[in-house]
Amino acid sequence: MPNRLELRGITKQFPGVLANDHVSFAVKPGEIHALLGENGAGKSTLVKMIYGIMQPDSGEIRWNGEPVLVPNPKAARRLGIGMVFQHFSLFEALTVLENIALGMDAKIPSRELEARIREVMQTYGLLLDPHRTVATLSVGERQRIEIVRALLLNPKLLIMDEPTSVLTPQEVDQLFTVLRQLASEGCSILYISHKLHEIKALCDTATILRGGKLVDTCDPKAETSRSMAEKMIGTGLKDIIKPEGRRFGEPKLVVNGLTTRKTGDFDVPVTDVSFTVRSGEILGIAGVAGNGQNALLDALSGELKGEEREAISIDGRAIGLMDTTERRRHGLCAVPEERNGHAAVGDFSLSDNSVLTARDRLGMVMLGLINSGAANTYTGKVIADFAVKALGPAATAGSLSGGNLQKYIMGREILQKPTVLVVSQPTWGVDAGAAAAIHQALVNLATAGSAIVVISQDLDELRALSDTLAVINMGRLSASRPLGDFSVEEIGLLMGGVHGEEAA
Amino acid sequence: MMQFRLEKRREPSRFMLYATPVAAVFLTMVIGAIIFSAIGFDGIGAVREIFLTPLTNSYKWQDLGVKAAPLIIIGVGLSIAYRANVWNIGAEGQYIMGGLAATWVALASHGSGGWWTLPAMMLAGMAGGAAYGAIPALLKTRLNVNEILTSLMLTYASVQLIYYLVRAPWKDPMGMGFPQTRRFASEALLPNIFPGTIVHAGVPIAVIVALIAWFIMSRSVFGYQMRVVGAAPHAARYGGFSENKTIWLALLVSGGLAGLAGMLEVAGPFQRMVPGFPTNYGFTAIIVAFLGRLNPLGVIFAGIVMAITFVGGEVAQTTIGLSNSATGVFQAMMLFFLLAGDILVRYRLKRVVPQTEARV
Repeated sequence: MPNRLELRGITKQFPGVLANDHVSFAVKPGEIHALLGENGAGKSTLVKMIYGIMQPDSGEIRWNGEPVLVPNPKAARRLGIGMVFQHFSLFEALTVLENIALGMDAKIPSRELEARIREVMQTYGLLLDPHRTVATLSVGERQRIEIVRALLLNPKLLIMDEPTSVLTPQEVDQLFTVLRQLASEGCSILYISHKLHEIKALCDTATILRGGKLVDTCDPKAETSRSMAEKMIGTGLKDIIKPEGRRFGEPKLVVNGLTTRKTGDFDVPVTDVSFTVRSGEILGIAGVAGNGQNALLDALSGELKGEEREAISIDGRAIGLMDTTERRRHGLCAVPEERNGHAAVGDFSLSDNSVLTARDRLGMVMLGLINSGAANTYTGKVIADFAVKALGPAATAGSLSGGNLQKYIMGREILQKPTVLVVSQPTWGVDAGAAAAIHQALVNLATAGSAIVVISQDLDELRALSDTLAVINMGRLSASRPLGDFSVEEIGLLMGGVHGEEAA
Repeated sequence: MMQFRLEKRREPSRFMLYATPVAAVFLTMVIGAIIFSAIGFDGIGAVREIFLTPLTNSYKWQDLGVKAAPLIIIGVGLSIAYRANVWNIGAEGQYIMGGLAATWVALASHGSGGWWTLPAMMLAGMAGGAAYGAIPALLKTRLNVNEILTSLMLTYASVQLIYYLVRAPWKDPMGMGFPQTRRFASEALLPNIFPGTIVHAGVPIAVIVALIAWFIMSRSVFGYQMRVVGAAPHAARYGGFSENKTIWLALLVSGGLAGLAGMLEVAGPFQRMVPGFPTNYGFTAIIVAFLGRLNPLGVIFAGIVMAITFVGGEVAQTTIGLSNSATGVFQAMMLFFLLAGDILVRYRLKRVVPQTEARV
């Protein structure tokens, strides 16, 4: 039986970077094949070429043993290749059925389409009401739409791009059941992820990429998570060093009954959120995306105007009515989730980006004029201390890779020695090496006496980093407790909105 | 067949940033010559008269300065607003209101003026322009009304206001019925800085305004605010800059500078308020701001280039009988080529080797 998909010497060159360098591997029918690598290793570029979004510069794609050219995604779908993207392309105001109908190449009467959708849902246990509006669905349910959309075409190869990054542990289990069923029916699955324990649990084969080159194709069940991670980053992995016997000091950040208003049709405000973070403590806030994390971060940073003075206080001083600049002056720094265009300005130099948040705390402004010398010096220090790969303070933020830009942004805030640091998704889309550096810097800042809040969807990250944990769901925050008190199942239930355990 | 593809550059090209305005002017000359030849004029002669005669004929230099000054002052203001993505299209109206406010001071102080008259007219001009810019700012920040529409429509209202004022309350009683104000008293007229020429004090003022604006835009927190709100509004909010405050500042500054230009024109070349006061400087300055790369220093050069086309257009009218609208055609072509060429700042053209026939 020929291989379902075979890549031979695929090469793709972008300006200044060789994204794929003679990559060759094969996927058998019914195989669940992991594609593993750090950010920027070339995984996305590779699958974009398989799905016809990009064309390789050289090399050959074979489909069921025949060499093929895939000029566009439509051709890929005709071959029997389906893809579920990391970022969904759904219209929030439309129903499930309407969204699926819009994505179909062929025009199918809606009654017939609905019958087929129900059939696919039945077969794979993907429960969903076709007439519900997408805006009312959870992220896991939205992903099901994308999967159903792909399955309607009876794919022979399904590409899943980081599918679990937004799911609760329970939803992950459901997804794996569906994928295993598909594989048993002969559909091959190309599974992109950097979550090693998932790959060990699910995949038959793993192909590891590093810097655009194929490093190894191995059996993930015969490897340890650590050995695969080391192949992925090419060096030994560093653990977070947390000093033993740390003690927490005075409360630094006290949030008491914080409530925000709904600002748009589809965003989730926070309701009656209360927590305390002490000096030296890292509070992790877990939750599935879209449960009020953005509103919480904006309300803490001051971007969302507060209405109650006492809702937030730092060191006993009520700051609930202050704007961002004043809050920074009082020691509260924040890093939002979106790097480009929110935490940093892509068109500006790094030096100018330092002026954005550090100008007051570090005295970069005199008589309304910017002291660019001070901004340059500070930026140089951030670049050196956080090993940011950049040409220097004059390089534009947009020219940095995601991981390097994140290191710069975290460095810019951490070196201001804030009393309280609030970060959202500190290592989202960042490679393992950079993530370890960022985690260590956060721990060091806490050790030096700051209070830190980490909002993240990555449970592994929160369990490695946090001292205490709380879970956000539909804009409400659970009580925070020491990390050790939670089991993974319990966190999962809280993320899914079951608050029954709280009383206990 | 050779194919080309646009490919995003990692860093915007600084070379292209400065090369595209030059290329736009050059392409305008070439294409302009071809178009005017094709419709039966002396195309090469037209380009020569419009672009070269004003430079080679030293007698025309003073005209250049006088035409460039208001374009530069308004262009500097617009370049600041456009940096912040505040699209003030109504500089013409703010220019008119500045001119009217200055006229009011000149008429009210007629016969009792002194050394303070011109400075007072200047302040009134800026206040008039800024106040007219405040209307779109108020509507935008309170009701989210698009400033492009409001600022543009207010221009037409201001033109009607001139017509009314010069026909009734401000009409010169000794003017033999002409709809115009009396000639300003000598204290209310701009002094000529080179005796025997028409070069008035507005010319050096324009250069000083551009230099100050350049310094403020590149070094101050105000300039930073304008740039960051334009480049990434979300990041600006995160950095503590209010978007509404920026809209106000942008419209007040660009309106105020347009008003200053109006004052300098009415107290300089016009010497009185007339119905022909609106000369489209406010609209042409939009091209000047973009041709100058929204950089106040660039605006000086762009203002001179645009003044060349005005002066040259007049030359071509008399020497080869080209219609006055030809000037507008050349100016519009310049903006068109500039905006089209701008894509090369962020993208490069790359040749692609054609792939073999798809087998799917």
